[in-house]
Amino acid sequence: MNTLLKVDGVHTHIKQYHILQGISFEAIEGQVSVLLGRNGAGKTTTLKTILGLTPASQGRITFRDIDITKKPTHGIANTGIGYVPEDQGIFASLTVEENMKVAMRKEDEATLAKREYILDLFPDLKTFWKKDGGLLSGGQKQMLAMARAFVGNSKLLLIDEPSKGLAPIVIEKVMEAILDMKKHTTIVLVEQNFIMASRIGDTYTLIDNGETVQSGLMQELIHDEQVKRKYLGIG
Amino acid sequence: MELLTNLTINGLATGMLIFLLAAGLTLIFGLMDVLNFAHGGLFAWGAYSSVWFYALTDSFVLAILGAILTGVILGFITEKLIIKPVYGNHVQQILITLGFMLVLTEMLKVVFGPNQIAVRTPENLVGSWEIGDVIIIKYRVFIIIVGFLVFGIFQYILKKTKIGLIVRAGVLNKEMVQTLGINIKNVFLYVFIAGASLAAIGGALFAPYSGVIYAEMGMEYAILGFIVVVIGGMGSFPGSLLAAILVGLVGSYMAYYVPSLSLAVNMIIMAIVLIFRPQGLFRAKG
Amino acid sequence: MTSKYQWNNIFLSIMVIALFIFPFVTDSRTWTILLTQIFIFSILAMSYDILLGYTGIVSFGHAMFFGMGAYTTAVMLDRIEPTIGVFVLSIATGMLITGIISFIVGLLTLRLKSHFFAMLTLALSGLFLVLAEKWRSVTSGNDGFTFRAPEFFKDRMMFYLVVLVCMVVVYFVLRRFVQSPLGHVLVAVRENEQRTKSLGYNTLHYKVIASVVAGVVASLAGSLYAISLRFVNTSVLTMDITLDALLMTIIGGVGTLIGPIIGAGVIELSQHFLSGLAKDYPIFERWIIFFGILYILVVIFFPSGIVGTIRQAFHKRKKQSVGKEEQSNSEEL
Repeated sequence: MNTLLKVDGVHTHIKQYHILQGISFEAIEGQVSVLLGRNGAGKTTTLKTILGLTPASQGRITFRDIDITKKPTHGIANTGIGYVPEDQGIFASLTVEENMKVAMRKEDEATLAKREYILDLFPDLKTFWKKDGGLLSGGQKQMLAMARAFVGNSKLLLIDEPSKGLAPIVIEKVMEAILDMKKHTTIVLVEQNFIMASRIGDTYTLIDNGETVQSGLMQELIHDEQVKRKYLGIG
Repeated sequence: MELLTNLTINGLATGMLIFLLAAGLTLIFGLMDVLNFAHGGLFAWGAYSSVWFYALTDSFVLAILGAILTGVILGFITEKLIIKPVYGNHVQQILITLGFMLVLTEMLKVVFGPNQIAVRTPENLVGSWEIGDVIIIKYRVFIIIVGFLVFGIFQYILKKTKIGLIVRAGVLNKEMVQTLGINIKNVFLYVFIAGASLAAIGGALFAPYSGVIYAEMGMEYAILGFIVVVIGGMGSFPGSLLAAILVGLVGSYMAYYVPSLSLAVNMIIMAIVLIFRPQGLFRAKG
Repeated sequence: MTSKYQWNNIFLSIMVIALFIFPFVTDSRTWTILLTQIFIFSILAMSYDILLGYTGIVSFGHAMFFGMGAYTTAVMLDRIEPTIGVFVLSIATGMLITGIISFIVGLLTLRLKSHFFAMLTLALSGLFLVLAEKWRSVTSGNDGFTFRAPEFFKDRMMFYLVVLVCMVVVYFVLRRFVQSPLGHVLVAVRENEQRTKSLGYNTLHYKVIASVVAGVVASLAGSLYAISLRFVNTSVLTMDITLDALLMTIIGGVGTLIGPIIGAGVIELSQHFLSGLAKDYPIFERWIIFFGILYILVVIFFPSGIVGTIRQAFHKRKKQSVGKEEQSNSEEL
């Protein structure tokens, strides 16, 4: 039970707005940690702050015992964090192959093996290997984004709302893939779809108004109707 | 027939020179979102330094290498001192690069004197070929070949190498490239230096072509470069080649048939493109 | 807000009074001409400030409007008769023409983002320059033509006073304009066009209004400029004029109105003295280098120019003396 990522009392300002006002949670190696909360609660900003895209103005973020709070984005990525943004960030006029290649730091055997593994997980990507990223379907883009983050930095993946805008059948696929990837990497997931979150999450962190409300085991949350109603509007 | 051939070759040659200038502009814009109004200054410095190196070494190859060296140095200085402090602020970028353009132009006059300088064509490129009754000037063909060569090399780098891939990805989404562990600031610097060197090569080739060089040529050709970038679509490398050839040919034909309206015609093309198709003629939407 | 303009008022009153007295105490022709020139460029720079400082757009086509004013006045005085009446009429005509043209140009160009807008204005002003060179029957092309100024202006001092009055009037009119609700919307556009749009303002309309106001005032400057030279050629339409206006505005301080006046003074005076120095030190023939460097330093380190920087210093001191915690200004810059 190693703590891989530790976010401790993080605040973030974007221009004059105080978006994050105290976020704390930990990601345990080999687990899926889910960030839950209403729209606009600060989940996406939390991921962006971990990556240094919207740097923290206060607090501390450590990854594998390295303080990454003040590092530039590319430096943070190079310590072993991969990112799958909400809009997937696919390079539209680059082929699937090229999209993957941008992320691959080296082309050694280990990396190529990783690529093999992830392509087996998402056979669609193999089919459209030479096709432009922009021409893929929504689900395929999601898979490409996840695959790309995985081949680059597989120690921790930050995935932002992978189920957004996808058909139930595709969500099922993505979910299974995440569960499979969990064997090889640690995942922090932002997810609005509670059914999905509860099925794949090991732990959860509840965020409201830019603050951590509570954290715990997903199993406990599933039965806590009061919290679910109050913060997630369900149950 | 002879006239048409000559006008076409002339137009192509001019087009290639503008392309060398515009290629850097368009890459810098596409990747860094910076419109470099000092780019013409790099072109003029390329011309002056090549003439200086040529006088020194009597070798045109060394003269071009000298121009590239100048481009690299000036590109490095420009990116570090002028562009870097104002990333992300369009108004300041326009203002500061314009100011730097003034400095570059005036510095030319300080270093090389305020008067225009006559330039001779390198000996092995002097003269012309006669094919039937068509006379083809060697140096113009040389420019066209070099232009296509440079295009080919850069296209290869962009399409086939890792750094080229990163540049293309950066044009599409800078933030994403950074989250994949790439230091985009370094890439910016390389691209800027490459663009500056291209402009310097353009200037070096321009010098014997026009026969005279003068400090203001930078601004004159920069305007053509801007027109090309707009017509070709900002950030599109192949687009800038096509647009440059178009502008060169239009300029060449117009200069013969309706002299001195040629610049106006290009401006009109640019205005129409900007108003009706701001993403450029040769660039797909989105 | 009020204290800011109080300082301006005191400073301005002293300056204006001094300038009005000036020609009566000295009969230096050089100084009268130089100051007249400064006033004219102050008007031009103030008009540019409406665009750059208050609306946040960089136009490379401002010379277009200056040149139109200059040509209108020159042609009318030359073709009709050199009287005050025609002079006034020519200013009005020039303003009307530039008003219409800047309206059309604004509608066409102001939809574009900053870079594209800058290029398009560059192209359009280039077109007008070519047009003026070709339309020789009216403009005499690059050679230009001389014309007779109204009798009244034969006395340099009279012209000096007229231009000074024009400058003061333009200053107050433009100040009124930027302090009006309309002016506040323009500043909002500069700060964040998207947000202003989402508040329900049609930002294009406001930008067009700003460009018409700037164009019309620039035309006035052009008219006066033509009279001051009693000569006009295509140089009034060149990029150099726009660059001058731009430099003056930036160095003096964008978005202050008073800044452009000071900028015009600084640039014209140093140009005068530096080119005077060139007789002894050839490096000063290239005086523009010093401007280029100064200007780059200003953009990087003092983006608010002379007036803006002084004001910030005042503000800081005031804040400190009140004992408030000093908030960083960096976001505003």
